[in-house]
Amino acid sequence: MKIEEQTIDSVVVVAPDGRVDGSTAPDLEKCISAIVERGDTRVLLDCSKMDYISSAGLRVVLVGAKKCQQGGGKLTVCALRATCKAVMEVSGFLTMLDYYDTRAAALAAGS
Amino acid sequence: MLTFAEEILLLMLDDDGAFLPIRGGAVEYILAGAVLMDLAFANRIDTDPEQLVSLDSTPTGNPMFDQALAYIANSGETKNTKGWIETLAGQETTGIRQQALASLIERGILESQDKKFLWVFRSRRYPTIDGRVEREVKLRIEDVLLSDDIPDPRDVALICLVDACGFLGDIFAARELERSGPRIEQLRKMDLIGREVGSVIAEIEQAVMTAMALAQR
Repeated sequence: MKIEEQTIDSVVVVAPDGRVDGSTAPDLEKCISAIVERGDTRVLLDCSKMDYISSAGLRVVLVGAKKCQQGGGKLTVCALRATCKAVMEVSGFLTMLDYYDTRAAALAAGS
Repeated sequence: MLTFAEEILLLMLDDDGAFLPIRGGAVEYILAGAVLMDLAFANRIDTDPEQLVSLDSTPTGNPMFDQALAYIANSGETKNTKGWIETLAGQETTGIRQQALASLIERGILESQDKKFLWVFRSRRYPTIDGRVEREVKLRIEDVLLSDDIPDPRDVALICLVDACGFLGDIFAARELERSGPRIEQLRKMDLIGREVGSVIAEIEQAVMTAMALAQR
């Protein structure tokens, strides 16, 4: 898994490319933690290139969202592929986190 | 930090140290789920809605987990989370219960007392010596359920176990429980292992009720 990181209008867009599972989720956790620790707490998780998420990945998303919230910001999710969206829906994550179908929509909403 | 099995066992004990009744009488399934949760948080296994996979068979150093970890890693079987809960419940958890109780006694949280009733029958109880840990566990659950904040994944998993046991009514007053209903509904799905524990217990409870209804005909 590769992780692209880009700051757009004070929102840090984090885009994992590949599988977010028990082997790769720690890298995503480190990435989000480092962003929050430097004071950027508005994070957009762009999942357009994420093709799998396991329970380890879901935990990392939750930990990241909690850290953003504790820092006064929030973690928003966008552009989930169908299989990942199904996992996030079945596990109730999309009722807890803000979700947009596209990166543009999320940024326009001020994520 | 206590393991999930230790935390849920603490909540299974009443004020006299006797085990409270669990929905469907399915203690073994709860403990099997608790061990799988600890293995997942230790990054030894991973799950999705379809399967549970072994990531790393390196022992954790905790015998409570390592027996189950070795079993999963060496089985060569592909099963989903529900399948592993059922397998471990059938084979492993008597040891898990005893090991978790022994750990809680060693930490000075519980003590073991043997009592006789009707002058003949022995019963073993586990009264609490240090109630701070149990109170802290209950407070964590209350904090998560009564707020809208993003929860910690460990707290979500524990709440799934407590909910599967049917114990939330023992922690909350009826009004609070009703108020936190939507939050419980939301959280009980969020841990994929916890979700399956709840589902297995509900199936067992339903089977027990059906059997009882048939027996009364």
